[in-house]
Amino acid sequence: MKEVWTIAENACKNILKLKVVYFLVACVLILVGSMYRYNEISLNRHRELLLDMSLLLNQVAAILSVLSLTFDIPRELREGIAATFLTKSLGRMKYLWGKVLGIYAVACVVCTLIAIGSYIIYASCFPEPIFLIYVKIQLLIILSAIPMTSICTFCAVSFPEMAAPIIALMAVWFSSLTHRLKIPVLNGGILPDLDLFNMKEHVIYQVDLPWSYILGTALYGVAFAVFVMMLSGIIFRLRDIK
Amino acid sequence: MEEVPVIKTESLSKRYGVLFWKKKNLSLDQLSITVPRGAVFGFLGPNGAGKTTTIKLLMDLIHPTSGSAEVLGKPVWDPSVRRRIGFLPDAPAFNGLMTASEFLNVCAKLLKMSKAERKKRVPEVLETVRMTASADDKLGGFSRGMLQRIGVAQAILNKPDLLILDEPLLGLDPYGRQELKRIIREQNKLGTTVFFSSHILADVQEICDHAAILNRGRLLCSGKLGDLLGSQGISVRLTDGDDLVRDLLPEAKECQKKGPHEWELTFEKTPDSEKRLQELKEKHAGKVEVVEQWESLEDFFFEKIEQDNGGEAGKEAKE
Repeated sequence: MKEVWTIAENACKNILKLKVVYFLVACVLILVGSMYRYNEISLNRHRELLLDMSLLLNQVAAILSVLSLTFDIPRELREGIAATFLTKSLGRMKYLWGKVLGIYAVACVVCTLIAIGSYIIYASCFPEPIFLIYVKIQLLIILSAIPMTSICTFCAVSFPEMAAPIIALMAVWFSSLTHRLKIPVLNGGILPDLDLFNMKEHVIYQVDLPWSYILGTALYGVAFAVFVMMLSGIIFRLRDIK
Repeated sequence: MEEVPVIKTESLSKRYGVLFWKKKNLSLDQLSITVPRGAVFGFLGPNGAGKTTTIKLLMDLIHPTSGSAEVLGKPVWDPSVRRRIGFLPDAPAFNGLMTASEFLNVCAKLLKMSKAERKKRVPEVLETVRMTASADDKLGGFSRGMLQRIGVAQAILNKPDLLILDEPLLGLDPYGRQELKRIIREQNKLGTTVFFSSHILADVQEICDHAAILNRGRLLCSGKLGDLLGSQGISVRLTDGDDLVRDLLPEAKECQKKGPHEWELTFEKTPDSEKRLQELKEKHAGKVEVVEQWESLEDFFFEKIEQDNGGEAGKEAKE
């Protein structure tokens, strides 16, 4: 287990060392804050607009964070960085789990920063208290990164380097739309139903969401991720590392 | 009890090619080699001979099409065995954002070394590869030679029983090569078996005691360097030995004056001459140095490759 944490810590640190991550978080917060100025153009719905924008951009940040797996794993395999680690007493499955946990931690840090920043902006602009429901909805966004991470890992180990990010992005997009597309085989089947993690209207209209729902959704996400990770592990185990 | 070889492969073969309609390329063909404990084993062959493929198979980075391989008495897929192996890939690449000591700490953690061990061992290996001054520099700014040194540092971090080096001398300047040869010798003295591939035949001859030659995926020969290369006689170096020269001169094939009172004589290798020169060495300890002269590995290598390629290719390569 220690090796998994080492790989996770390494993956997480390497991304969080990049200044561009904090620059993008700052850009997101500026964009969220600028929504306050849209009171006229939005016919005084700027509060809803600000909340919607903060949740949407946080979702995008989560997707981009986990998508980095589809670049990171193939790059490490191509450049031989992974080979150096894998030739220590590290199983391939542990390497994958380490990567997944590390990138998930990155998604958590980035989403938390955006959530805290957005909440401070909201609280300084509007008097309506939304703290608890806001935390719950942001938590769902962070939890949505669990199945997404596993999809990205699967794509990273199964497809060529050029195709992996595109296929992963399409899979995440379809997973978010399965409810609306009404494709039975996809809807919560091959792809996870990411709509379950999207409860933005609850925070906008201040409708409470029970903790049991969050727990159930989290378990669904974890179960899906474990299954996909096992599949990814088998594929990765059979693969030749050039 | 028979000693377990450090590396043992049996009819190991590897075919590359993922798509079923593509003709698969046979990279390694029925390779069977044994590397004894404590050896410095040179793994030689022209480009595309299958050296890197063999090393990757031994490190379980790729899977064999057929055959089997054992390292330190265990199958290569057993992750626990890798804790006792040090490995340097042919083009070591590391994350450029990490510093040298950060990277070595990550490697040490993966090798399950305790914090105290890491604190002691990381500066130690940096010192061994003469990189202490660059310990806190980012790997992204390192030259090829420096990266190679860091690669060697991570390979010897766990004081391995077996050191596998893929083209370790490639891209190093003469100083770097000298340093690496020193490290290989030091590690071998500490009891580590060293298995390495190289194109630099003079260096291989200098540091190896065993060698194998591979061509087009097939093993051409393998064994002790002394058994593979033909003896070209026995060379005797005399210091302060003007009086000894007079006695030895009638039997010598060649005689050269190397300096004031210093001589080098070459004798044909016969059981009699071997015995006599050994007695001479014992009698005049410090004055007489006896060294066996071997055929050059380079000549032997080209001869073998030429034979295998049917004459011309080896000749062309030599020219």
